[in-house]
Amino acid sequence: MAGWLFVITLVLAVAAAYRPLGDYLYRVVSGRKSNVVERGIYRLVGVDPNTEQTWGVYARSVLAFSAVSILFLYLFLRVQDKLWLSLGFDGVPTHIAWNTAVSFVTNTNWQAYSGESTMGHLAQMAGLSVQNFVSASVGIAVAVALIRGFAARKSQTLGNFWVDLTRITLRVLLPIAVLATLVFMIGGMVQNLSGGTDVTTLTGATQHITGGPVASQEAIKELGTNGGGFYNTNSAHPFENPTTWTNWIQLFLILCIPFAMPRVFGRMVGQNRQGYAIVAVMSVLALASIALTVGFEVHGGGTVPQAAGAAMEGKDVRFGVPNSATFGAVTTLTSTGAVNSFLDSYTSFGGMMPMVNMMLGEVAPGGVGAGLYGLLILATITVFVAGLMVGRTPEYVGKKIGAREMKLASLYFLVTPAVVLIGTAAAFATGHNSTALNTGPHGLSEVLYAFTSAGNNNGSAFAGITVNTPWWDTALGLAMLLGRFLPIILVLALAGSLARQKPVPESEGTLPTHQPLFVGLVVGVTIVLVALTFLPALALGPIAEGLS
Amino acid sequence: MTSLASKTPSSVRGGLLDLNQLWRSLPQALAKLDPRALWRNPVMFIVEVGSVFTTVLALTDPSVLAWIITVWLWLTVVFANLAEAVAEGRGKAQAAALRAAKQDTMAYLEDGREIAATELKQGDVVVVEAGQVIPGDGDVIEGIASVDESAITGESAPVIRESGGDRSAVTGGTKVLSDRIVVRITQKPGESFVDRMIALVEGANRQKTPNEIALNILLAALTIIFLLSVVTLQPLAIFSKAYQAAAPDTIAINAHGVTGIVLVSLIVCLIPTTIGALLSAIGIAGMDRLVQRNVLAMSGRAVEAAGDVNTLLLDKTGTITLGNRQASEFVPVDGVSASELADAAQLSSLADETPEGRSIVVLAKNEFGLREREPGLMTDATFVPFTAQTRMSGVDIEPSLQSGEGRAVGAVAGGRQIRKGAAGAVIKWVGHSSDEVSEIVDGISASGGTPLVVAEKGRILGVIHLKDVVKSGMRARFDEMRKMGIRTVMITGDNPRTAAAIAAEAGVDDFLAEATPEDKLALIKKEQEGGRLVAMTGDGTNDAPALAQADVGVAMNTGTSAAKEAGNMVDLDSDPTKLIEIVEIGKQLLITRGALTTFSIANDIAKYFAIIPAIFAAVYPGLDALNVMRLHSPGSAILSAVIFNALVIVALIPLALRGVRYRPSSASALLRRNLWIYGLGGVIVPFLGIKLIDLIIQFIPGI
Amino acid sequence: MRLPTWLSQHLAALRALLVMTVLLGLAYPLAFVAVGHLPGLSHKANGSMVSAGSTLIGQSFTDADGNPVPKYFQSRPSAAGDGYDPTSTAASNLGPESVVDTADAKSLLTQVCERSLAIGKLENVDGSRPYCTSDGVGAVLAVFYRDGLTGPVTRAVSVNQTGTPFIATYEGVTVESAKNGEDYVAEGGVITPIRGDAPAKPVVPADAVTASGSGLDPDISVAYANLQAPRIARERNLSPVRVHQLIEEHTEGRALGFMGEPAVNVLELNLALDGK
Repeated sequence: MAGWLFVITLVLAVAAAYRPLGDYLYRVVSGRKSNVVERGIYRLVGVDPNTEQTWGVYARSVLAFSAVSILFLYLFLRVQDKLWLSLGFDGVPTHIAWNTAVSFVTNTNWQAYSGESTMGHLAQMAGLSVQNFVSASVGIAVAVALIRGFAARKSQTLGNFWVDLTRITLRVLLPIAVLATLVFMIGGMVQNLSGGTDVTTLTGATQHITGGPVASQEAIKELGTNGGGFYNTNSAHPFENPTTWTNWIQLFLILCIPFAMPRVFGRMVGQNRQGYAIVAVMSVLALASIALTVGFEVHGGGTVPQAAGAAMEGKDVRFGVPNSATFGAVTTLTSTGAVNSFLDSYTSFGGMMPMVNMMLGEVAPGGVGAGLYGLLILATITVFVAGLMVGRTPEYVGKKIGAREMKLASLYFLVTPAVVLIGTAAAFATGHNSTALNTGPHGLSEVLYAFTSAGNNNGSAFAGITVNTPWWDTALGLAMLLGRFLPIILVLALAGSLARQKPVPESEGTLPTHQPLFVGLVVGVTIVLVALTFLPALALGPIAEGLS
Repeated sequence: MTSLASKTPSSVRGGLLDLNQLWRSLPQALAKLDPRALWRNPVMFIVEVGSVFTTVLALTDPSVLAWIITVWLWLTVVFANLAEAVAEGRGKAQAAALRAAKQDTMAYLEDGREIAATELKQGDVVVVEAGQVIPGDGDVIEGIASVDESAITGESAPVIRESGGDRSAVTGGTKVLSDRIVVRITQKPGESFVDRMIALVEGANRQKTPNEIALNILLAALTIIFLLSVVTLQPLAIFSKAYQAAAPDTIAINAHGVTGIVLVSLIVCLIPTTIGALLSAIGIAGMDRLVQRNVLAMSGRAVEAAGDVNTLLLDKTGTITLGNRQASEFVPVDGVSASELADAAQLSSLADETPEGRSIVVLAKNEFGLREREPGLMTDATFVPFTAQTRMSGVDIEPSLQSGEGRAVGAVAGGRQIRKGAAGAVIKWVGHSSDEVSEIVDGISASGGTPLVVAEKGRILGVIHLKDVVKSGMRARFDEMRKMGIRTVMITGDNPRTAAAIAAEAGVDDFLAEATPEDKLALIKKEQEGGRLVAMTGDGTNDAPALAQADVGVAMNTGTSAAKEAGNMVDLDSDPTKLIEIVEIGKQLLITRGALTTFSIANDIAKYFAIIPAIFAAVYPGLDALNVMRLHSPGSAILSAVIFNALVIVALIPLALRGVRYRPSSASALLRRNLWIYGLGGVIVPFLGIKLIDLIIQFIPGI
Repeated sequence: MRLPTWLSQHLAALRALLVMTVLLGLAYPLAFVAVGHLPGLSHKANGSMVSAGSTLIGQSFTDADGNPVPKYFQSRPSAAGDGYDPTSTAASNLGPESVVDTADAKSLLTQVCERSLAIGKLENVDGSRPYCTSDGVGAVLAVFYRDGLTGPVTRAVSVNQTGTPFIATYEGVTVESAKNGEDYVAEGGVITPIRGDAPAKPVVPADAVTASGSGLDPDISVAYANLQAPRIARERNLSPVRVHQLIEEHTEGRALGFMGEPAVNVLELNLALDGK
């Protein structure tokens, strides 16, 4: 019962934030006035905030910024031993540095390393944390560019990436992160530059209590749906998630922006009900998934959970089974990938749910920005089929979905499944699945999970598998890179194509995209397409395991 | 000519399919197996490649299952080709008839030379005499003739073609029945109307329409996804089989993973073969449905655009109203009885053969039982015809007591002089007027009617109310249009007051009064500026710019060459109300595609439940729980899915050709209905179908 | 000289990244490090340290050999390093069907069974659990069928036991004990866990036999604390009432009544017992 209340209060809180946060985001991305700091930044960067970019220029700016970020972060990690606050750790090995740089720039935050034994404080703060901010801003910026495409009337341009990046970071992410950091510190999270303290335990042993700027990183880790933990055990670690209520706050931070993005969509296209429809799709999928995950975990099927009496392996006592399962579902529904309990030890079906959540394409509600543009693509595909069924050339919020739009949407939809399936198959074909910890179907799940997580930029793991080998680091790095930037290019191209169109006025003959019927249809299309794509693989993994 | 009134607002239907047609199209279906031809349809091409692959496998490692699956995979491709062949077959028959009309025509040039019709150039002038076939498309520049156009319109009644005006266009292949005309050829060699018509109905150079292209992209993407998801399954299957060493080799899976035959079966079952097979047939059949209604679309694009139309421009006369004003009421002035007025009106109209005049006689008979008198018998009556100068017509009756007919009316000594006509003219004739008369006249004008004042020498009797009669059923029709999200605009040359009244009565959304061709063009441009698609009909040369500007421009076949050239459709029946049907056919085409796509994708769910446990329950017995249909054996399950997949194509051919039922209604209602039928149906039907097939084929030994 | 567009674009990107790094990577976290020095926050910002460690970080209450020190409440099993090592936090990551021991590693099932048996012994209660043998390993058979997955049973091996099998026969076939290094799945055995007749709700609670996610779980369930209470009372000559009172005092209830689960902080409880 308490477990359901936990979910219900989260739902209420996120619902309450929908309008104010969404409206605020809307004002930030559509506002034009710059403040002193922003003007300073524009001058330093050397951009004119008043120039508008075509989709091509916008895309090239995103790619340039991300490429520079990857290179910078890679070098940073390689030479961290030469910098301050390295805590005596070596420079990060090449393949792990590559994997980590890509991982944080792509908002995946897959961790092939163990935080407390690899990263110095400076690398965490000025390397990883910075990307936690800006990769989130990039996601929101791309989503906003797509919305501008929908909202535009015969326009060639989509806004200015540098302005979007700056405004979103400074006006949205930073203020909320500041507030959250403070709350987290009150909750007991550490925030220091200590290299750790040796203490003598009650029974006389020595324990090394670690330190670090955890709270400030934790805030943006959740808010930006990044998920890369300061420590190896992420949000299970008491320093990263000390109390049951910090756990609730973390989930709220994760959910608030992705769920408020549809409001921005509704506002910008001038029809709030379109935003409500999108948020309804997200909510239906998310609630169903959370309910199933919690249900499976509480039920505790499978040999070991039955033997133990509850699915408590890999879960901490303060969170218990229901809140842990909720966290597992929420962080995979969003592209966060943080964990407060270890998914590898979940029940077969309970562990399948996070995988399915990611396979949905990270759209319910998905990562900040990325979730919205992913869902808008799915809505576009749905509009196309449904639009034909009402006897008109399909149109979505006044924009016709023609051959070019379908080409881009279809390609978008192809990318992630292709990356996930090809990656998984390649691992098995080349024998690299042997690094899995578990055997049989569960071992298969570990491999499938790894590529699903990387391809969808989630970052969580069935963590038993050993992935800090050169092959795995390279393959997953590529999966993250392709899974992030191919879709972004396609989305921006789509935005450009939509922006050029003249909007079609709505009439009785227009497919209504704000009614429950359409919401149900998008939900159905999402589930069916995912089920059809991944069911064979899932059948040999968690389903085979769960039905044994 | 189909009239709107006779057509109940109901669904658009198309031709039916008879089984013979399937049989007759078989050779063509087989010819289409040529991979070079099939390449254009990626979904079916993959099925063919799969079929070749399984054939090789079945040859090298024969088994009952392998052969049956191979046969059914080939059948899947054949069925798809059959759908297309049947659709094309109907057009071919029509084309053959048209070609016959074109054979061996000779052209007699004005300068006396005689050449084959095929050698005619643009600008040549030919002479066509009675009994000759017109050698090419052109305009009559001299003479008048009745022409039999049944070769292209199917209408046996001859039509008049004359030089000048809007009835000057003639079509090659039609026959002059009487008189002699001189025609200037306007076509280029080989591009005559009949040539284009043949190409169109044959679907020879059918180009994919925009929506079809977009749908093809989606289907290609789905095909790639399923291909990927099946191919990448192989390493996982090998791993799983190796892990579960206890699992025996089966027909579906062994140490090398899923067997080739089963892998191909799975791919074929998952990729959207149903819609892939029927897509081109749907397109061809859509064009065919138009042709059956005697409408020629110059491109498939135009048919699709018809479905998208937001604004319909309809000419008032002939489309919305019956085309002529009719008497609807006799309004007498004080001191005159209605029957008195009716009598006078009738008398004055006896010789008036205009529709208006006839309607006055009819009304007098219907309302007051006044029998029509034969003008020829009224020897004492002199009928005064209407002239542009007097703007009146009437009758003068000699003061003769012998005339029984005259007396019966109530004789007035000194004879009678009755006039009816425009208010101003009649008042001038009478010499004076009254407020009462002008009040009645103004009232009728205000209501959109035309007042005809009736007077007898020196005295005004009253006013006849003539009005445009709106065809019955129009209001319902326009309400439907509104539900479909289509705005109707009435175009008329009437003054705004009259136009407003008729618009209100007919229930159109808007009207354009005192419309000139320029106004029409401006209106179309304005609508398009707002992102709306406009459809219109037209026949005159001065309609050409508007027809060209409209997204769907339907030219009347009776119209000028310029109009026909400017529009993107030609209505051979020259029925302006056809536009509404065209819109419905356009919508039906899109709906059929959408519905079958939904059906096709929804089918996959059941196929998964058949095939996945069939393959993998042999490795992980727990997966047998997914065998919800309790199919007999792995072999029968896979085979059932493959057979269902092939049969459903044949079962849907009639639907593809006919188009799904379309009732004009709002988008939400349409979506809800189609979603229930084709979405939910698409989920449920294959569960039943596969189970049924399984119940039968389980008796085949070796399955 | 004008730079090529692509280069100037990347230079702009680099400048933007550097600005962001200074702002978000240095100014923002360091400001909060400073805030962490404020009175009232500094204790927490520095790790909630007490005399014998951090109240947030769990620790083992075992002697040098790894045996439980009986006068202390025991923490949960930990997969962090050798147990509660904050420099290598980890969970076991073993799956729900990890039931077959191998030469190098015990299955999760066996670990659960083993722990349950040990705790049962320590606390003088019944340590039996479903799917566990009485000697504390996973009760799992590799069953061989004539036709692979079907047909009559031809052979059965208790895969986790080298000694006497936990049951004598299975489907009429004598159960063999396992030989070291044999992979019975690869030989064609079907892994079949045997539930046995242990009660569905074992006496030893679930958190006592499972490793936490963090490997540093500072808490145990109230049930596990209560299970240990008699031993503590005995070892420390305290009245059971007093021990339960202490447990209650160091139980953190659900925040706002619905967040998380009630948890007993083991270090704080043990410190209280020691009177510190």
